Amino acid sequence: MLLPYLAIALLLLATLYSAVVSFSDQKGRVASRIFPQAPGRFSRILVGSLSLALLMGAGLWMASSSNTSTRRPSRFLIPDGYTGWVRVEFEVPGAASLPIESGQYVIKIPPNGILQTSSPEQYGWAKDRYEYDSAQGLRSLADSGPDQRIWAKLNAEESGASGKRKYEEFFVGTQQQFKAQANEQREIK
Amino acid sequence: MLPFFLYFVAALLTGFHVYTLLTLAVFGAQFNLLHLVALLGSFCLLIAAYVSLFKPRAAAQIALLACLLIWCFYAPATATLIRAKFHRHTSSQLASPGAATLESALYSAPRTHPKPHSTCGAD
Repeated sequence: MLLPYLAIALLLLATLYSAVVSFSDQKGRVASRIFPQAPGRFSRILVGSLSLALLMGAGLWMASSSNTSTRRPSRFLIPDGYTGWVRVEFEVPGAASLPIESGQYVIKIPPNGILQTSSPEQYGWAKDRYEYDSAQGLRSLADSGPDQRIWAKLNAEESGASGKRKYEEFFVGTQQQFKAQANEQREIK
Repeated sequence: MLPFFLYFVAALLTGFHVYTLLTLAVFGAQFNLLHLVALLGSFCLLIAAYVSLFKPRAAAQIALLACLLIWCFYAPATATLIRAKFHRHTSSQLASPGAATLESALYSAPRTHPKPHSTCGAD
């Protein structure tokens, strides 16, 4: 994809240009095409209004095309001490649907880390919660910050003998454990 | 007029790119605070573009600050990308196509295709 490379190239140009203009001595400098003076009033109005129209058009287009819907948040109950990949497979015929408690999907992960449900996958903005579930109670797992224990969350779809299957995956563990398994996978390849 | 177009196009491109990365959170991607910082930088760069129509030097100073904000996100991402490419060359392993796109480097995690496995109770 070209966009990120183009963005970096232009950002580099803008940084260099603005640094040169900011730190150079302005006295006695002759205006040139590269370092021009402020444009005239007509140019300002023309360029300003055209660019504003462009911005408003782009903003309207993005607002109309973007998916701003929210979804019901999920609460993942993970067996205490579990480390490794967790996978939730959606729309599996014959599997139980996800229970809803206090407005949240409760996703109780079995000890093997793979849960199948007949419920459909939800898309949208929501704040999910992750907790270790033990006889002593629940222990929260951070999905960001210095104590992060949830990594590489992804939603995907795969095709198999039983047709297409939607699933959600994430890794539970410390950063070292996550990196170690990623390296293992790389070596296997 | 050159500074206006330079700042304007750079702001649009970086802003749109970071915005698309932010929207990936809807599909389960991890939220990254640096995305927001870079988006703020893009907005400042846009302001600098309009200021440049009146005061080019003041605009350049705003643009420089805005660029530094944007680099907060792009610098580590670019470094990760280069390191990933270098690692692949030194390990001389066959790389999966598309694995080194900038998007993959922009996230905190190395993007492998994991096979679910678990070790219950082995923390």
